[in-house]
Amino acid sequence: MIEKVRQEQVAQLALDQAKKLGCEDVSVVCAFSNENQVRFANNSITLVNNVRDITLDVYLSLSKKRIIGSSYNPTEKGIIRFIESLAKSCRALPESKDYVSLPQGPFSYSPHHANYDSEVEDASFVEYAKEAMSSALSSGANRASGSINSEVTNLFILTSGGATSSDRVSQILLNIRAFADDNSSGHGLSCSSYLSDFHPSEAGSRAGIYAKRALNSALISEGEYKVIFTPTVIANILPIASSASAFTIESGNSFLSERLGQKVAVDKLNVEDRGVFEHGLGGRIFDDEGLPTRTNRIINAGVFETMLHNSTTAKKFGKGSSTGNAGIIAPRSTTVVFSAGDSSLEEIVKETGEGLLITNNWYTRYQNIRTGDYSTVPRDAAFRIRNGEVKEPVSGFRLSDSVPRQLSNIELISREREWIKWWEVSTPTLAPTMMIKGVRVTRAVGS
Amino acid sequence: MSDAEGIGVRVVFDGALAFGATNLVSKESVTDLVTRLVKNAKHASEGLKDKVKLSREQSYTADWGVDEKKKLEDVQAEFLISFLKEIDKSIPSSVSEVTFPNRNLITFYAIDEKHYENSDGSKLRGRVPRVGYLCLLTGFYDGKPSTVSVPPGYSGLGGTGGWEVMDALNLTNYVPLQLQEVTNGIRASARPPTDENISVILGPAVAGLTSHESCGHPGEADRILGREGAQAGESFLKRDKLGMQIGSEEAYVSDDPTIPNSMGFYLYDDEGVKAGKRRLITSGKFTEFLQNRQTAEVFGVKSNGSSRAVQFDREPIIRMANTFIEPGDWVFEEMLKETKSGIYIKSFMEWNIDDKRLNQRYVGLEAYRIEDGELKEAVKNPVLEITTPKYWGSIDARGGDLAFTCGTCGKGDPMQGAPVFIGAPHIRLSDVRVGARS
Repeated sequence: MIEKVRQEQVAQLALDQAKKLGCEDVSVVCAFSNENQVRFANNSITLVNNVRDITLDVYLSLSKKRIIGSSYNPTEKGIIRFIESLAKSCRALPESKDYVSLPQGPFSYSPHHANYDSEVEDASFVEYAKEAMSSALSSGANRASGSINSEVTNLFILTSGGATSSDRVSQILLNIRAFADDNSSGHGLSCSSYLSDFHPSEAGSRAGIYAKRALNSALISEGEYKVIFTPTVIANILPIASSASAFTIESGNSFLSERLGQKVAVDKLNVEDRGVFEHGLGGRIFDDEGLPTRTNRIINAGVFETMLHNSTTAKKFGKGSSTGNAGIIAPRSTTVVFSAGDSSLEEIVKETGEGLLITNNWYTRYQNIRTGDYSTVPRDAAFRIRNGEVKEPVSGFRLSDSVPRQLSNIELISREREWIKWWEVSTPTLAPTMMIKGVRVTRAVGS
Repeated sequence: MSDAEGIGVRVVFDGALAFGATNLVSKESVTDLVTRLVKNAKHASEGLKDKVKLSREQSYTADWGVDEKKKLEDVQAEFLISFLKEIDKSIPSSVSEVTFPNRNLITFYAIDEKHYENSDGSKLRGRVPRVGYLCLLTGFYDGKPSTVSVPPGYSGLGGTGGWEVMDALNLTNYVPLQLQEVTNGIRASARPPTDENISVILGPAVAGLTSHESCGHPGEADRILGREGAQAGESFLKRDKLGMQIGSEEAYVSDDPTIPNSMGFYLYDDEGVKAGKRRLITSGKFTEFLQNRQTAEVFGVKSNGSSRAVQFDREPIIRMANTFIEPGDWVFEEMLKETKSGIYIKSFMEWNIDDKRLNQRYVGLEAYRIEDGELKEAVKNPVLEITTPKYWGSIDARGGDLAFTCGTCGKGDPMQGAPVFIGAPHIRLSDVRVGARS
């Protein structure tokens, strides 16, 4: 493949140039991505989009001085100029107190291409978009809007520590919103790496059914409710992996600061960081330092068990080694996995008795990131639960709560889980439905 | 450090729109790109219901840009670090018994160079240098942590131009002064008055954000037409709502990309249309929507130059630039003096709004109770949760002290974070209810 050869050449050129300039540590991650998108609105295709990029993420160290940079300019001239400029800036920096040399390879990586489907490269997503819209309309909506994003990314890493590997990942993300009128809408997602796991018709149907059921919604009173959150909402409002990053914790911006080893959630909550979840969504087999990614148990039976590290933060926090989550500056998760619970969706509704069902949300913002105090706006269909059944639609309210409080108030977790990645959730997340008690609901007053 | 270079192309074929981009800039790859785009557009045009037509607009040939007195290319990494260290040193170890052990300071600059051409004959070259600063701190008072930003509301300061823009901010004075004010909010314990309707004076940062969220966004014509429905959302406004009375006669909102040295500055948009000031709300009525060439054709108007792409590989879409509540003729002290009972929300942290822009919320950081024209005790986290018509309908006074902060506006799919200014003077709302954050 021409692009693969070019990626390796680009990475080698960047590494050679950096070594020539005296850099001791060099890590180059070169990505060739082919993104296709079909957007639609009001039952009509509004845009087809295709972007092909080669990008280069580079880390350099010189005399214990460290710098990172990204280049979208993969020409020979562009790379040489970029590395020279990066090295020049690096020389001007102070020594890093936390300097650690890059991990020494070679390493063995697995599984290769676990989330790559060659069929994604040639699929016609215009037809899939039409299928999703048609399904939404036949399920009760009168119009539908959304997008299908498909992306195939070839990754190649080369480090001065002797790490070298490549990986290939495909992703297909459908986000559809169906409308039964201006005030009633439903949402559907289908997120997968494999075409065989991509179900535009189901997502469209779910959006359409929700839209129809959301007609004639009522206002509700402020107060505390038992709330059933769909996987789409859980993946957004419980930011466990990003809060477990050593960088976020060191910056003082995590509700998990100073909580390592402590109980932070109910016993039944388990959350993992996975490098790659086979036949799941996205992921990477190596991190930006060249280390193989792995499984890290962040929350184990409600206890904050593992902070996510790169080599530098591991040293800073007195931990033996990285957890394979570099980001050179900020450790990060590539896949978040909430463990399944033991309830069916029907049991959750029944056991909730009286409460709310919230199917989607957006605009989550924090009053106090450190304490996890936030509010978010329910979006699309929401319903009252009465006598253990989903009843009338509700709207016009907001959730105003705190993440730690909610983690301690989780009552039920579903057996079924869904892959989530969309506008409000950037890291692929396998999430269940949850029922959380005592959720605070507010609304505009006196107006 | 980031270096990006590439080409983005948009084509319309039989009413179907296709966009594509590549950073593999060779004759071969660009030819390949355009061939793919035309093929994609042809495929999409089959049976297409809503065909795209672009409004006819004047074509231009121009070189435009922003001058730099202190060129950003000459600013070295070492200087940036010492710049931040100086600001950090200016932060006292304790401000009114509040300590700030966690301090995250960020400064950045970017130079955006663009060569634009279209099939109407426009040829434009633009160069925009941009600088900025952000700061996020965790303060501890009585053992309890509070995350705050300076300026509050996760916003920043900066603009377009050279490093002289940053020099003028005098951040080593500004940050400690702001922290002194912010700590009044951190230390506050009194509950805001929630039992009756009162007057609320909003500081420029809070009021400025309302102009962006509940006037600028719902007035974007692509939202009104439903094009952003699945992502950034739609609008409570419909095509026939131009002229609709949304607020009091004191409500005036504009958006102006041509404000010199503003964060959202440009002179020509990314469809080659000349930019100018847009008067969005005039005396309480919606008087103009933000238009690109696609929506302008649907509305039967000319584009007002609102189309922007944040990088070569993103589709140009309708964006705000510098949105603000127009200044009035009140001075803050008079506004306060003539307020019998109310609160003053000077700054905020948390905010959000529903995706039709009808139900918005702002949670105060520094805020005080007002009694008989005087500021009284600081109150803890008052919540202004209010519908958009009620909000704009409640304005009864606008100050003359227009002030701007910087923000990043999120919209698009894929997401495009656009640099903007957000501004307002002090304003007063009458007869509104506030809540308290529990």
